[in-house]
Amino acid sequence: MFNVLRMSLKIDINYAINSFIYTLKKAPIFKDLFVDDSLYKSHKAKSIIRVLAIILSSFRIIFYKCIYISILYIISHYLNSKNTVNTFIHIYVLLTILGMFVNNKLLSPSTKKYFSIVLFNMDAKKFFKSDLFIEIIPSFIVNFITISILINVKIALLLSLFAFLSRIIGEAFNIWYYKKYKYLVISNLVLYWTLLFIVLGLCCLPFINIYFTYKYLLLLVLLFIPLMLISYYYINKVNDYKLIYKKLNTLNTVIDSDSRKGYDRQNIVEVKNKDKYINNKKIKGKKGYDLFNTIFFERHKEILLRSAKNFSLIIFVVIIGSIFFIKGNEKIAKGINYAILNRLSWAVIIMYFINRGSILTQAMFYNCDHSMLTFNFYREPKVILNLFKKRLITIIKVNLMPAIVMSIGVVVLLYLSGGSTNIINYITIPIFILSLSVFFSVHYLVIYYLLQPYNKYMKIKSLTYTLVLSLTYIFSYSLTKLVMSSLIFSIIGVLSTIAYVLLSLLVVYRFAPITFKIR
Amino acid sequence: MKLIIENLNKKYDKNEVLKDINFTFEEGKIYGLIGRNGAGKTTLFNSINEDIDIDSGKFFLEDEYGKNTLNIKDIGYVISTPTVPEFLTGKEFLSFFLEINKDKIKDMKTINEYFDMVQISKEEQDKLLKEYSHGMKNKMQMLINIISSPKIILLDEPLTSLDVVVQEDMKKLLKSIKKDHIIIFSTHILELALDLCDEIVILNNKNLELIKKKNLNTKKYKDKIIDSLRDEEHV
Repeated sequence: MFNVLRMSLKIDINYAINSFIYTLKKAPIFKDLFVDDSLYKSHKAKSIIRVLAIILSSFRIIFYKCIYISILYIISHYLNSKNTVNTFIHIYVLLTILGMFVNNKLLSPSTKKYFSIVLFNMDAKKFFKSDLFIEIIPSFIVNFITISILINVKIALLLSLFAFLSRIIGEAFNIWYYKKYKYLVISNLVLYWTLLFIVLGLCCLPFINIYFTYKYLLLLVLLFIPLMLISYYYINKVNDYKLIYKKLNTLNTVIDSDSRKGYDRQNIVEVKNKDKYINNKKIKGKKGYDLFNTIFFERHKEILLRSAKNFSLIIFVVIIGSIFFIKGNEKIAKGINYAILNRLSWAVIIMYFINRGSILTQAMFYNCDHSMLTFNFYREPKVILNLFKKRLITIIKVNLMPAIVMSIGVVVLLYLSGGSTNIINYITIPIFILSLSVFFSVHYLVIYYLLQPYNKYMKIKSLTYTLVLSLTYIFSYSLTKLVMSSLIFSIIGVLSTIAYVLLSLLVVYRFAPITFKIR
Repeated sequence: MKLIIENLNKKYDKNEVLKDINFTFEEGKIYGLIGRNGAGKTTLFNSINEDIDIDSGKFFLEDEYGKNTLNIKDIGYVISTPTVPEFLTGKEFLSFFLEINKDKIKDMKTINEYFDMVQISKEEQDKLLKEYSHGMKNKMQMLINIISSPKIILLDEPLTSLDVVVQEDMKKLLKSIKKDHIIIFSTHILELALDLCDEIVILNNKNLELIKKKNLNTKKYKDKIIDSLRDEEHV
């Protein structure tokens, strides 16, 4: 088993190192430094990075565990400040029990498992056991140290032992469950949510002074020891790990998706059944790329309009709720009035979150451009720009729906919460919110056309694109801290949006015919 | 050694793909599996390799010790879309594979000898698999399956993406190992099948059918295969 463990770690570390070198080679400054592939075989460079990788990954495990335990401790304190320790034991035990059933890390599909079991032909049972030990032993140590520091050694020992035992029991249970039902507990959504709901409900009990005390914990640990032995015996007895892994890690779950994310992303943008039929009226009289674009948006109506409608509804409900609060409480009314007149910067992050631009560009790529870009006629500058224009108009329209609800809502809230002495606010604020919506619509489409970041497997290949997306978020988030008269803020906002839109359109018209291609 | 398929049935929803298949593949032969697009060749392979659940049926491996249920450890499956750990270099991939399987591999050669077998140069060995072409990834996949030497080798369109030189080398390699293996080779290219395979099996009307050559010359044999495949349209 230790051999399998050693190999598994070795592959992991090599994978991490190579990914790191690969990213480094793609990064703007470093790519000129490492032009060839010699770094991949350089033992010296690799051994340095190996040490770094080991330190980093151990640090990550310790960090996450510490954060988890500390957060639980803080929550316990808030739930019942007089009995923090008992509350902590209570929550920790319940969440660990929940984890026994729903934490399927060892069996969940992953490329690593596919490669290790199917390709490298590793002994599946040994692989499972080594995976289990690598999960529980460091966990035990970190749990023990962290809880010792926070509470005391005795409780730390009991709790970390409890987590250790329950993990083994949980894994045995998961294998048994999978063998019986051919799916994992986590895939049974009714069971999953019921469990989650019950456990989270029970976690709140300390609030009314009912909790799982130290004595019960001791009893539970004593009960879990024989259970763990039986479970471990079962884990050893099962012989078809290879088949279990193979069934869970079929090529479909692994192919073109390094992670579940890639797979999920494809599901997100998949054309929904409802949209497969298109009403003839919608396409009557349309020709060429106009028809092409209309069909595309009709086929994605569910994906696009549903979220736009949902967001509009949520905003509507929030606004109606706020109106009630305003009417009932003068203090809240004043607060809302102040916020609208001085903290309009919040609108930026809200619009950032409700804009569907990035999902839409993914759908465009995956369901259309991904294959169309292989045809030369589709790559003619005239075609690219023509379609860009049509798409832009449609995207703006879709995103304007929640923006309109929000602008009307904000104006109504402003009026009801005490109004503004400056009547221009009633015009500039809604215009600003609408322009924000246009800004994000243009932004996502422009960076998609300029950086076309996906490869044919929908993986983002462009580091610049990732950087731009992160910067967009950082920019939107950093504005939330800003306190400024909304009149000035919205005027600046509208003007800069106009400037940005004009500039980016100019850039797209100039460069998109060159940049818009398959990577 | 024989691979015996008994009463294999597989449906996708209401669409019957494999219907009551009974067939025996024998050791020492390369079987060319031919079928029209969507006939179910990959489904058949996936069923044998237990990648998908079948509706009914059994697979057995019969040798001098008797007839036993087929164990997936005895199968090597080269899929048409090569999937390899992209962030390992070719060399790392192969050396890990050899290290993990060192107890199971008979007559282990050096890494370089293995790379020579599939003609991957020193420079290419140190490249990430991510940067390998489709054909090169395929070579790596074929290579590890040949090294691990399972009793049954399933090859799903493996040679199509290889260049002609490597194709020839691979053909030679497959011919040289067929003595101790059951090799089933699916392809769309009839010429390739006729050139490499000892027997042609067509997947037609949801069932497997061995097309006997008897005294036919290549041209007539080819026509017979195509006629058999065409039949499907009239069913």
